[in-house]
Amino acid sequence: MISRASRDVTIFLGACGILCAIYVLATGSPYVLRELSIAGIYALLAIGYHFIFGQAGALALSQGTFMGVGAYASGILSVRYGVPFDVGLPISIGLPVLLAAIIAVPVLRLQSHYFALATLIISQIVLLIAVQWVSFTGGANGIGGVPAIVLLDRTVPPGWATFLTVWGFVVLAGLLAARLTRGLIGSAFAVMRVNSTAAATLGIDTAWLRFGAFLLSAFFAGLAGALYVHTIRVISPEILGFSVMVTCLTIAMLGGRYRIAGAILGAVLVIELPEWFRFLREYYLVGYGVALLVVVIAAPDGFVGLLEHVAVRLRPRMSLTPPAAAALPAGRISADRAPPETPLLQLTDIEKHFGGVRALDHVSLAIRPGEILGMIGPNGSGKTTLINIVTGLYQPEGGRVVFDGSDITRQRPHQIARQGIARTFQTVALVDEMTALDNVAVARGSHRLGFWQALASPLSDPALRTARGEAMALLTLIGAETIAMMPCGTLAYGWRRRVEIARALALEPRLLLLDEPAAGLNETEQADLARRLRQVAAAGCTLLVIEHNMLFLAPLADRFICLDYGEVIAEGTPAEVQSDRKVVEAYLGRGAAAALP
Amino acid sequence: MALQLLFNAFSLGAAYALVALGFVLVINATSAVNFCQGDMVMLGGFTSVALAQGLHLPGILLMPIVLIIMAVLGIVFSAVAYFPLQRRPPETVFISTIALGIILQNLATILFGPEPKAAPSLIGTSEMAFGPVMVSRQALAILVTAALLILALYALFTRTQFGRRLRATAQDREMAAAIGIPVTAMIAGTFALATALAGAAGLLLSNTFFVTPTEGTNYIIKAYIATTVGGWGSIPGAVAGAGLIALFEVVYPAMPVIFQGLGEGKLSSALFSQTTSTIVLDIVILIILFVRPQGLFGEAVRVRA
Repeated sequence: MISRASRDVTIFLGACGILCAIYVLATGSPYVLRELSIAGIYALLAIGYHFIFGQAGALALSQGTFMGVGAYASGILSVRYGVPFDVGLPISIGLPVLLAAIIAVPVLRLQSHYFALATLIISQIVLLIAVQWVSFTGGANGIGGVPAIVLLDRTVPPGWATFLTVWGFVVLAGLLAARLTRGLIGSAFAVMRVNSTAAATLGIDTAWLRFGAFLLSAFFAGLAGALYVHTIRVISPEILGFSVMVTCLTIAMLGGRYRIAGAILGAVLVIELPEWFRFLREYYLVGYGVALLVVVIAAPDGFVGLLEHVAVRLRPRMSLTPPAAAALPAGRISADRAPPETPLLQLTDIEKHFGGVRALDHVSLAIRPGEILGMIGPNGSGKTTLINIVTGLYQPEGGRVVFDGSDITRQRPHQIARQGIARTFQTVALVDEMTALDNVAVARGSHRLGFWQALASPLSDPALRTARGEAMALLTLIGAETIAMMPCGTLAYGWRRRVEIARALALEPRLLLLDEPAAGLNETEQADLARRLRQVAAAGCTLLVIEHNMLFLAPLADRFICLDYGEVIAEGTPAEVQSDRKVVEAYLGRGAAAALP
Repeated sequence: MALQLLFNAFSLGAAYALVALGFVLVINATSAVNFCQGDMVMLGGFTSVALAQGLHLPGILLMPIVLIIMAVLGIVFSAVAYFPLQRRPPETVFISTIALGIILQNLATILFGPEPKAAPSLIGTSEMAFGPVMVSRQALAILVTAALLILALYALFTRTQFGRRLRATAQDREMAAAIGIPVTAMIAGTFALATALAGAAGLLLSNTFFVTPTEGTNYIIKAYIATTVGGWGSIPGAVAGAGLIALFEVVYPAMPVIFQGLGEGKLSSALFSQTTSTIVLDIVILIILFVRPQGLFGEAVRVRA
């Protein structure tokens, strides 16, 4: 999601960049031009890294290796087989992308610390192979005599021509990357970074986004590697070493990991830094580490983040006007689809263990279309576990989940969400930096998200405009239209709850699962929420509401179910269940149950 | 022959275990990866080299001094690279410790030069015969010293109030703070312990394997692998994992000697070289991660939803 501050900063930096380029071309020595060409190549590397490390938020330690593979491929092609730079480009980019695709299968689903380790190990393997395979790679000595960049049969001489070629690629790559991450896909990445589980329940295919980001990282790294080897004119295993990876990480952190402008600014700063710190002599590499440490601590969003902060100060968000509410498309709720007597959701014999603990023990229950079902039970009785199973976050050890006639037991969370099951979380999971509007809008477009769509759609994305308009309608429906343009991090708890419900409604769910929606709300807010939930139900959406607050739930729900120790112990009207002997026992103990009439 | 190899593997594994233990202690206390744990080994090695030049003492007498110096440095490092970031996502600490590692590596290069240096041996390097097994004094001393340190750590954790508080802090920080444990001091103490253990490993390993400014990366990968194999966050698991790595590193290159049938010549020596050994180990770890994404023995640290 490109905010206005970010756009302002990009324009500002772009203008500065053009001025600097003109100055350098007019006055620069061959040495300066070469240094800046290298900086441009690292900018390409970092633009790629921004996809996996910035957008997808995964600490990959393989980016240097992808660049190295591209460099080796292009270098060996030209030295051994006489293939020029441009003809070999499909292979020198394709090889790292292929490597990324192969390692993505086992590695991408790993948790962050294992992902970092796995990518580190793969880098070590590639380096060792490059050093060992002397006959092909030249081993530790590498291969000299790599020809210069060749474009369309013309050799690009060193100096200003190489400088312009490299930076031409940087501009192209920057525009391409900007297109790929703007609009809804940028928001989807933000949701995934903050809470991958929540993203999946909004219908976002997180595995696919992460996979795409990883391949894109390798794509740009391969291009950077090919340019690098023809600029420094020698193949050397140094490029596969950990120090290239560290340089890339430093660039991302220093410039700002979430922004393309950050990647470019960071590259220029980091590659030129040793030049400026020349007075430090042999200590300059220490200065490098100190700079990284200081930035990590003091400016986690890098220099571009700092500039955006300034931009927000200069042009406050107050002046933002919300879009007009767009009419929501006719819902997918149709009365004839499921006759009222067949359940919308049927759970049969659901079993779930955590180690030795039985969280759910042969639970069977049905939710009828159109009803509001209240679910109660003491803490730890398995209520949230049940919702997690329905939404695909947990796999049950036994039993079946059937939604509207089809078995969804083994489906993945985003597939389940796309079929019309939405939920909220006990602890609100919103992206603090994004406006309430965009937090809702991202769920509107989740099923049509994709890199191809982002590339193919025109400059001002109509999908984004529609999604924002519809999000405005949903915020109005839930009574949160006044705070639409506020960043969610600044909102009070009651508002955050409502934004989260609006976001769940954005999926046009046929079944909405609410996990303690009234917790932390005052009485006025509770009454308002109950009224609006009744409206939602009247529009045809079936509700399952988990609550401890009986004053809120009893008047709202048509029917109650009580869980205790993973079993359904009572079912019926709210009054029946509340006075049930077993329910009172579960909540208050045997003594209290004995006092019942 | 087999006994000889086994002994060498135990000796090496004990030294690796010290590094892995420090690594896993920090994970438990902070749920963050301390990526400069390997550089701490390097630092311990160079500290020993420098102390030996000034004091002319055998390694065994340098050990307490190295432990104290490294513990103090550990507290300083936690103040620089952990405490300013403790409210941020754990991966931030990963990056800050990479930065700290770069600083230390380059300072070491400036102070000691890039050439390998050897730390003093603990009690000498001559060989002793135990029946059919020839044992170097250094390898034996490494095994005994590391085992004593591990036992001391075990006693610290189970027998002292300080150790119990450390464990409480690692298990649940908020709870520990709520019952009046000085959490910040406990975490600083964990860093001190972790760094001291790495320093001890540096002294132990730098006689046989020498010490260079950039060797930290090797040790961090080993500690990381040991922790992954042994179960993320498990202390006995880290020791077992370190032992397995050492066993592999010692036994794999010796395969052609153990099994004469594996043949000799160029192919065999390429197949069982040190480098191939590292590659094979790496691939085994990748397969483990692929088959069991939660580590070989499951995770001891539970991620809360």
